[in-house]
Amino acid sequence: MKPINFYNVFILLAVFFAGTGFAQSNKILIVNSEKTVFRYEKIATEFKKVLQQNAYSWTEFNLDDHANADADLKQLVQQENPALIYCIGTQAYSLARNVAPNKKLLFSAAINWRRLDVGVGTYGIANELSSAQEMSLLHYFFPTIKTIGLLYSDKFSREYVETIKKDALNSGINIINKSINDAQEISEVLNDLLPQIDMFWIISDPVVLSNKESVRQIFQAAQQQNKPVYAYSDVYIEQGAVLAISADIATIGRQSAGLAMMVDQGKVPAGTVQSPAGSTVTLNKCALDALKLQFNQDALDSVNKIVGCEQ
Amino acid sequence: MIKYLSTLLVGVLLLNSSVYADESAEHDSLEKELAYLAAERKVVVTASKIEEHVDKTIATTTVITQDDIAHIGARNLLDVLRLVPGIGITQTQIGVREIEVRGVKTLLSEKVQIMLNGHPLDHNLQNAGSTLLYDDLPVDTIKRVEVVRGPGSALYGANAFLAVINIITQSAKDLNGVQTSAGWGSFDTQQYRASWGKQFKNSAEAALHFNFTDTNGINSPIPADSRSVQGLSSNAPGKSQLTEGRYDLEWQLGYQDFKLDGRYINKKAGTFFGTAAVLSDSRTQQDYNDYFLRLSRAWKIKDNFTVDTQLFHDFFSYDNIWQIAPAQFIRNGVQDTRTGGEIQANYHISDAQTLISGFSYAKEQQGHLIDQAGSDPAHLTQVLPSTEARTRNRWGVYIEDVWDPLKNLRMTVGARYDRYSDFGGTFNPRMGFNWEFIKNYSLKFSYGSAYRAPAFGELGSANNLVLLGNPALQPEVVKTFESGIIAHPIKGLTAQTTYYHSSINQLISPVAGQSAVFQYANNGSVIAEGVELEARYDFDGKLQGSYISANHVLQHSVQLGQQLADVPRQRTNFTANWAFDNTWSSFAHVLIKGNTSRNLGDVRNDVPGYALFDLGLLGKNMFGKQVDISFNVYNLLDKRYYDPAPASLNFIGDYQMSGRAFFGHVSLKF
Repeated sequence: MKPINFYNVFILLAVFFAGTGFAQSNKILIVNSEKTVFRYEKIATEFKKVLQQNAYSWTEFNLDDHANADADLKQLVQQENPALIYCIGTQAYSLARNVAPNKKLLFSAAINWRRLDVGVGTYGIANELSSAQEMSLLHYFFPTIKTIGLLYSDKFSREYVETIKKDALNSGINIINKSINDAQEISEVLNDLLPQIDMFWIISDPVVLSNKESVRQIFQAAQQQNKPVYAYSDVYIEQGAVLAISADIATIGRQSAGLAMMVDQGKVPAGTVQSPAGSTVTLNKCALDALKLQFNQDALDSVNKIVGCEQ
Repeated sequence: MIKYLSTLLVGVLLLNSSVYADESAEHDSLEKELAYLAAERKVVVTASKIEEHVDKTIATTTVITQDDIAHIGARNLLDVLRLVPGIGITQTQIGVREIEVRGVKTLLSEKVQIMLNGHPLDHNLQNAGSTLLYDDLPVDTIKRVEVVRGPGSALYGANAFLAVINIITQSAKDLNGVQTSAGWGSFDTQQYRASWGKQFKNSAEAALHFNFTDTNGINSPIPADSRSVQGLSSNAPGKSQLTEGRYDLEWQLGYQDFKLDGRYINKKAGTFFGTAAVLSDSRTQQDYNDYFLRLSRAWKIKDNFTVDTQLFHDFFSYDNIWQIAPAQFIRNGVQDTRTGGEIQANYHISDAQTLISGFSYAKEQQGHLIDQAGSDPAHLTQVLPSTEARTRNRWGVYIEDVWDPLKNLRMTVGARYDRYSDFGGTFNPRMGFNWEFIKNYSLKFSYGSAYRAPAFGELGSANNLVLLGNPALQPEVVKTFESGIIAHPIKGLTAQTTYYHSSINQLISPVAGQSAVFQYANNGSVIAEGVELEARYDFDGKLQGSYISANHVLQHSVQLGQQLADVPRQRTNFTANWAFDNTWSSFAHVLIKGNTSRNLGDVRNDVPGYALFDLGLLGKNMFGKQVDISFNVYNLLDKRYYDPAPASLNFIGDYQMSGRAFFGHVSLKF
């Protein structure tokens, strides 16, 4: 066989196999908002592991690799005809929703999913833990805490904060929430808020947590006024948070894959959005002791990780 | 029962934790979390676009933050500005430093509009320009400096001709307590600062800043003056007498939507060389007083419609004694005031479009003239006035539309019409776009014109055998177009290249006169064009806080076919900041300036170019995050270099600038 003929055969075979792949109904398109972002990439990696174990095929589309992401994604959706588009991050979901409104969409890692334009064929794994469960836990860990304060931005977290407030009422906890439009307002608003509360809650709001300086301001103000800080992620333990209940990132990836397969098999009711299944409870004993905060000792059994002053 | 249920609840929530939460936590870090939140922040449901991001604006903008200023170890505003691409700083004979912008500079830098918290500082109506008071502005209270190169009259009106420099100082919430600092350095330089800021529960807030600065100046050798070369009695050879001392008091008071702010400055200075080509001794004294008072209120009519209103009163005066011969002195003084108001409406038509429109009015007055002369500065007698009392009314209307027709395209169109009681109207448009044609690559284009109103001195200088004013002057006008590309090719790297072309017409300059040697006239034009290249890389991870940056400018400014004198064709800045840990960092800066040519007919060789190396060490957030310490060495290699002296001083050579100089600084926060 002449080399040129060999290449022709190879190309024909490749097209054949590729064609059969495209035709598969259970192919999943993964759209990643920004592959350099650790959380997005970790979720994508875990998601793919589960798909591989279950013999699913997938195609990846990273927004940061495409100058004209709208057109490229549209073309890819037409070309691949995926059974489901898995969107990691808000940017990916917003784009996929515009480009492929009739496709089944599954999202994760989207801050406050309730603000999204969620259609009938949309499924998701929430980024935030169930606030009802968090409230119950906080009440269990810190029985004396009656009033919790939080900062948020209307742009990103209004719906989430409304849910928190409803759930807090059921747990007998009062929430005082203050809205800001810019991280520059943090100091000013905290000065007003902190004296009114027993504990400050850091939620995953991108305006409030604009940069390290914002984080520093929050902890500095809380420290000055002897207020404990509860955070949605254990990265804030090192900054001085007394307690953190973090949604586990890897779990979100695996949970998403499980949900994706169930959606593909038609086993999930439309519009299902699950709370993250895995979490880690981290207690900062050092901060707890420094604040002389009353803590339910029975709850220690529920803590995954205790951080002392020496760490 | 409750305890049991709670335990059960915890158990349910943590059921999967032991299985899944095995490896993620250790990989998490605050940086990664903030990077994630930053990525999420890119999708905004509603956005305010009054304040534009540097990447999205059509203007060529450089922002220097408080952190940058601390690393630079800046002693004053000019130490900050000299790192900005397209800007050069040089010494003048009377002491004030010149700000060269894009290859054009003048003695009083009147073509640059300096603003403090958005308020124009061109209070000097006699000569225009703000550098007499603001060239050595202390930087301790500065939060940010925004430098917009290119014309800005379409928004800011008069004198935003070549650049706008907006200095933003710390507010009450930035201070939230007391901050003090002190600096000491070469030439007996000392600086002290005290600031206090507090936000009260009833939505009131207050911030007060006080600065004191004093220096004996660089004592440059002056080998000769116009008298010594003729064998007449003279102070030459001698040394420059540029002593400078100043007090600054700034206030920002707020209650609900009202704000009352302002700044008072008293500055006393000697002179570098003197006037009339005669070396002065310490009896030349410049005495300046300046303040502005602004009352403003922001009105929220609807969520998408706000109105900003303000009333202001500006004051500037000088009372200067100049030695024009060893036993001959003149004394000049004026008082200038500007009183007016402005109303600006901001209408957010949609998430993608914002319309800004406004009206301003001001009354400018000059009076309280002082003109004396004599052989003893303590006993001078009245002489004929060298300028005139004058009143000018002016008003202006402006509109600007900032529109994002596509998410990767911003278009800006605006215009301003100003009318003056003494010379009529002037119309200045501005338009441009910023198009992110590939992700992380944006193309900018803008066109705009600007004007500079004739200063009172240019209109009314009198009784002077050398230079007279001209009441028929029209404003000088500049038309600029510029285009550039901003790129973020890899994470942490920002690169920008800009080409500009400016045509200055009706240039106000002295020409040969009939009743005096010179008289001001609208005469001639200047073409200035150039390319500005800049790049900055911010390190991440363990090196977070470290960065390297460079900018290089190639510029060509021509008048009557000749390259403008005393302006280099190229200038380069290299800076590197190395953060050893969260506390200590080291800063290095290299400035390379090309040769500068002479005026036509000036037979001296070109002023040679030079390279200066500055080094600094900064310790931040020490002793419970309350103490910052810095130590900087300027011109570390003790390079002898010169700023150009004008052709009228061609017999003395050029101005020798400072050799190696030190500056140490301590800042305390309570």
